[in-house]
Amino acid sequence: MNMNVKPQDGVLIFAKRECETCQMVEQVIGQIAGSMPTIVYTQDDPSFPSTVLALDDSSLEESFAFDVEAVPTVVRVKDGKEVARTYGWNRPDWEKLTGLKGLGEGLPEMRPGCGSKSREPGVYESLRAKYGKLDFKSRQINLGEWDDEIEACFDRGFSDGLPVVPPTDVRILRMLEGTSRNPDEIIGDVPPNLSPITVEKVAINAVMAGCRPEYMPVVLAALEAALDPLFTMHGLLCTTCFSSPIVVVNGPITREIGMNSGINCLGQGNRANATIGRALQLIIRNVGGGRPGELDRAVLGGPGKFTFCFAEDESDPTWMPLSVARGIELGKNAVTLFQGDGIQGFLDQRSRTPGELTKSLAMSLLAVGHHKLCEFTNAMLVLVPEHYAIFREAGWDRVRITEELHKAMVRPGRDVIQGAQGVGEGVDKRRADEMINKFWPEGLLIVQAGGQAGLFSAICAGWTGGRFRNESKPVTREFKL
Amino acid sequence: MKYGISFRDPTAETASVLRERATPLDTVKGKTIALMDIGKMRGDEFIDRLEQLCTERGIMTRRYKKPTNTRVAPREMIKDIAENCDAVIIALSDCGSCTSCSTHDLNDLDKKGLAGVSVLTTEFEQAFESQKGAIGLDAASVYVSHPMQNKTTAELHQCANAAIDEILQAIARDTTGAKVLEMA
Repeated sequence: MNMNVKPQDGVLIFAKRECETCQMVEQVIGQIAGSMPTIVYTQDDPSFPSTVLALDDSSLEESFAFDVEAVPTVVRVKDGKEVARTYGWNRPDWEKLTGLKGLGEGLPEMRPGCGSKSREPGVYESLRAKYGKLDFKSRQINLGEWDDEIEACFDRGFSDGLPVVPPTDVRILRMLEGTSRNPDEIIGDVPPNLSPITVEKVAINAVMAGCRPEYMPVVLAALEAALDPLFTMHGLLCTTCFSSPIVVVNGPITREIGMNSGINCLGQGNRANATIGRALQLIIRNVGGGRPGELDRAVLGGPGKFTFCFAEDESDPTWMPLSVARGIELGKNAVTLFQGDGIQGFLDQRSRTPGELTKSLAMSLLAVGHHKLCEFTNAMLVLVPEHYAIFREAGWDRVRITEELHKAMVRPGRDVIQGAQGVGEGVDKRRADEMINKFWPEGLLIVQAGGQAGLFSAICAGWTGGRFRNESKPVTREFKL
Repeated sequence: MKYGISFRDPTAETASVLRERATPLDTVKGKTIALMDIGKMRGDEFIDRLEQLCTERGIMTRRYKKPTNTRVAPREMIKDIAENCDAVIIALSDCGSCTSCSTHDLNDLDKKGLAGVSVLTTEFEQAFESQKGAIGLDAASVYVSHPMQNKTTAELHQCANAAIDEILQAIARDTTGAKVLEMA
């Protein structure tokens, strides 16, 4: 028979030499092929099985087309259509399927097979991209034969200045495996152009940022938080200030995907931290159209505009995580997006009591934005373990620390009004007789993170949009996998 | 043109897939226009005439000539043009390799902020469209009739005469040079 024509009635067998069960049934395959129309596809070695003339399926095209999950797989075809299949070696099943008796005498009754090569990690998506029906809505960009794909992304303005991973179909398919959400689902409208964004487009930008598929739920949650009107992403992006979203991640996912909440967690070197924040920024750039010099008008910008994302250290049970303080149940995954700048180091290696440390922290926090500006920005304090230990040992928890810090930052209006102390900047002169808080009561976010050694906490100044207390706020969002 | 790798557009589907070109000059008056000869035979005769036409209009120009039309311009030349000129006219492409290389030159200068235009023969319109698509730049072009290699010098000058207005309009909104203004 012509082995390239699939039989209208007969069997198709998928096998590979490296599978011991396939080797065990080599004679059985010959027995079947001698009795009925049979096509054998071999996934690795065209000379296997030696008992028949097998078709080379090392491209795995047929294995993919028949959705073979294990080898050996035997497919029964009648009138050109599949009517039954079995996989692994199971004498009764094989005999029933082929209608032949006495198959594989001397062999054990059954033995499981091996995984199909078409199902090996990373292979299936490649086969889908090559042979499957793709339903991507995003335009395809075809490069010239000699073009470099990374340079092409730079040329098109798709990059933040660092190389991006070209979003090929197979990479997008793999990225979409990281979420159960439908690629067509619209997440929202991305500023400044207010362009609708689908899960597919998120996946494309996540590929470019260098994310792994398992980061997708975090990227999606961060994007949803950014698009919450209360976060005012539009203004944050177009501002002349330094700010950008700072993403703090809480919950078990941070451990599962290997986020850094310890040594150098605000710095470089951790893939999840680096690429989740970057994916959000690339979405704003590519989908929203927020490119520096166009509608992104930051006078200086800041390194956080590449990426600024980290996990909170939740290992100390005395510490209430940020997400919990913001209303999320303990143990749930959540992202908090804060409109913030880069970091201002807080160096204090002398304070021994919580009172001393509070006063000391307050002095540095008062400098946020401008020493004399009050209720003008929010702030994020990243408290390192050694500083927190001073509070913890005295029995101070998050609530107490926050309360005491606010108290330590109340100043007489006459000291901070415009013109006071010979400095024009400051609060409205009409407030000279008030006692004035530095931040709104909810405007100081404290996160615990960092390495175990070093009395160096960090302050991230908030964006000036924070002066509109009810219009622009940090946003926390719980998310599921 | 053969295609290589392909990937998906990360931008909004409502956005152009091509990068917007550098904004054309408001006016050519007081500006220096680079005339880049791509190094293809006969191109210099066409550019000689472009240069004359610009001079007649009071437009300052600066001539450049690539060592070969089969490679992109040397880095020093791109740097020199970017530092000393305000816009660029690249001419005259009438083959595949020169179309490809000159479109890359146009892109390199665009990235340095220079509005530019490429002059090609009609036969290479499709090649230019493919190359600009692959590069991703919404590049400007002006076409003169193909073939050019068998034209007389007078005919090439005639082509330049016919194309000059369109060429200047591609790099500046107001193409009125200093002399015309003086006359007015």
